[in-house]
Amino acid sequence: MKDIFFDLSVRSVRLNFLRSLLASIGIVIGVVAISSMGMLGTNMQLLVKDQLTTGINIITVTPDVVRAEPGSSASSSNVITEIQLRDIRDAAGINEVIPIDRTNTQFSIGSNDGRGTIYGLDPTDIKNIMNVSEGSPLRGESDAIVGATIADRFNLKIGTRIKIGEPNISVTRPVIRVVGILSSAGLSSSNGINTDNAIIVSDTWYTSEFGGGNEYDQVNVYLKDVSTLAAVEDAIDKKVNRNKEVVRISDSSSRITSVSSTLSSLTTFILAIGSISLLVAATSIFNVMMMSVSERVQEIGILLSIGTEKGEIRRMFLYEALILGIIGGVIGGIMSLIIGYSVVSAMIGNTAYFFRPESIIYIPAGMLIGMIVCIVSGLYPAWRASNMDPIDALRNE
Amino acid sequence: MNGTPLIRLSDVSKVYHLESGDFTALNHITLDINEGEFVALMGPSGSGKSTMMNQLGILDVPTTGEISIAGKNIAGMTNLERTHMRRDVIGYIFQKFYLIPLLSAYENVEYPLILKYKKRDTTGRAAAVLKSVGFDEEMSSHRPNQLSGGQQQRVAIARALVNDPKILLCDEPTGNLDRKTGFQIMDILVNLNTEGKTVILVTHDPKIAEYAHRTIQLEDGRVVES
Repeated sequence: MKDIFFDLSVRSVRLNFLRSLLASIGIVIGVVAISSMGMLGTNMQLLVKDQLTTGINIITVTPDVVRAEPGSSASSSNVITEIQLRDIRDAAGINEVIPIDRTNTQFSIGSNDGRGTIYGLDPTDIKNIMNVSEGSPLRGESDAIVGATIADRFNLKIGTRIKIGEPNISVTRPVIRVVGILSSAGLSSSNGINTDNAIIVSDTWYTSEFGGGNEYDQVNVYLKDVSTLAAVEDAIDKKVNRNKEVVRISDSSSRITSVSSTLSSLTTFILAIGSISLLVAATSIFNVMMMSVSERVQEIGILLSIGTEKGEIRRMFLYEALILGIIGGVIGGIMSLIIGYSVVSAMIGNTAYFFRPESIIYIPAGMLIGMIVCIVSGLYPAWRASNMDPIDALRNE
Repeated sequence: MNGTPLIRLSDVSKVYHLESGDFTALNHITLDINEGEFVALMGPSGSGKSTMMNQLGILDVPTTGEISIAGKNIAGMTNLERTHMRRDVIGYIFQKFYLIPLLSAYENVEYPLILKYKKRDTTGRAAAVLKSVGFDEEMSSHRPNQLSGGQQQRVAIARALVNDPKILLCDEPTGNLDRKTGFQIMDILVNLNTEGKTVILVTHDPKIAEYAHRTIQLEDGRVVES
């Protein structure tokens, strides 16, 4: 059944084509703003979340902070002992366990002095958990691999020599040679170490310089299955901390939650900015609908006097608003696809997540919101039209 | 034609409250119009003709007094019931035709059928009525602004007739037409009256009023001659 009131609305839109088009453009802009902003935020969220979850399978075990207990000599030194390491290995089961030595130290490159963290690891472990983007893995005793940020800051190249320790005229400082530079890890410390700012040397070199053989500053457990995280943590805790809290066990899952919630409030914020444009669009639809009503007063008078029900008049004007909404929504949806894709690729540089449901849903959602805004803006004009007095309306020229 | 008249006005008054004071447009009018009558309503401007037409057309309600049309008391009706009365019982013919500009000639005639049956006309009634008032079939897809005054008034009459109303209310139906066309339109109205429609005609042209069986003269809101 074709509704004559729908026909009337279509004809009214067509009769005032330019005016209707301009009003629809407002909705187009609103839909595009909402959809693109929403997709931008979601894509950012998805990207960051994915980067973060690459590091979620790591449990970090560190010595508990030494508490100065009155009356007792510093019994708990802040290192993980070989015995504790064995316990951790036992508790970790099939999962890989990598002990790490680290210390903050001063160093010099030529005449430049700097501070940084130097890590000592077994060269085989280094190969397993780190990604050398330039150069080669550790071979010789005094070889070192450096992080991307530190390499950039101190202009480190393959072959650059670094003197470790405080500058002291009376002592000859040990020297290491850069053989490899790690690829940038960014937010994702996928190996549980902040490698971007690290100098990594072999554990043998480390202990020969800083001592602490059979003692470690940190132990990383790399889980094969993320879902066993809590169970493994629990096992380590029971085994190592059975008498006393000697190690601290942590992971990055809480970090993901907090970063995600920050990002999602950011998305909400940019969506709110987008919806301002929809508010402007609503005003222009309202304006056009009021114009349509006031231009057609006499026609409304005719319709009412020959027996058109108020509800039918209301329907006619709501259809008109809906038509404007559909035109604006459909054009806006198509444009959101194009503009949203461009914005995401320009601002995030990664469109891998664009067609994911949680991102692409913003297009139909934006269209729907646009149409709802149109209908809501049309409510008052439609109500006004239907409540006119037919005699007064007929007299209107 | 015995029994209750089709239209009965009992002591009807209409008072408008204006800033300059109250204005009595209709002053205690009592009047019967029987089914099948052809009545002309005459009087100078400001005499209350339009107000009277609005009352008879159920577009307005009296301040005091009672109007009953086809046995129903208008005052006791809901807004929707009045709307349905206007759709089903009364056909309106206006001086300015008042066709719906966005609809074609045919659709203008079909429109009241859609209002009544809530669906498009498939019975051919709209086309048949349009033909019966002498409207050229080839013009039926034209919009009102593409038609001459006489053609528009024929469409308007067809629209008024399509729901088979008992009453035809004609407000200066020839006022915007040349004399020849005006008489053609009057001939159509006379025919409709002989077919049984009650025709009420507002005019100030005595030549037009001559078509009627009864003339009601209004002056200052009162009936001076009936």
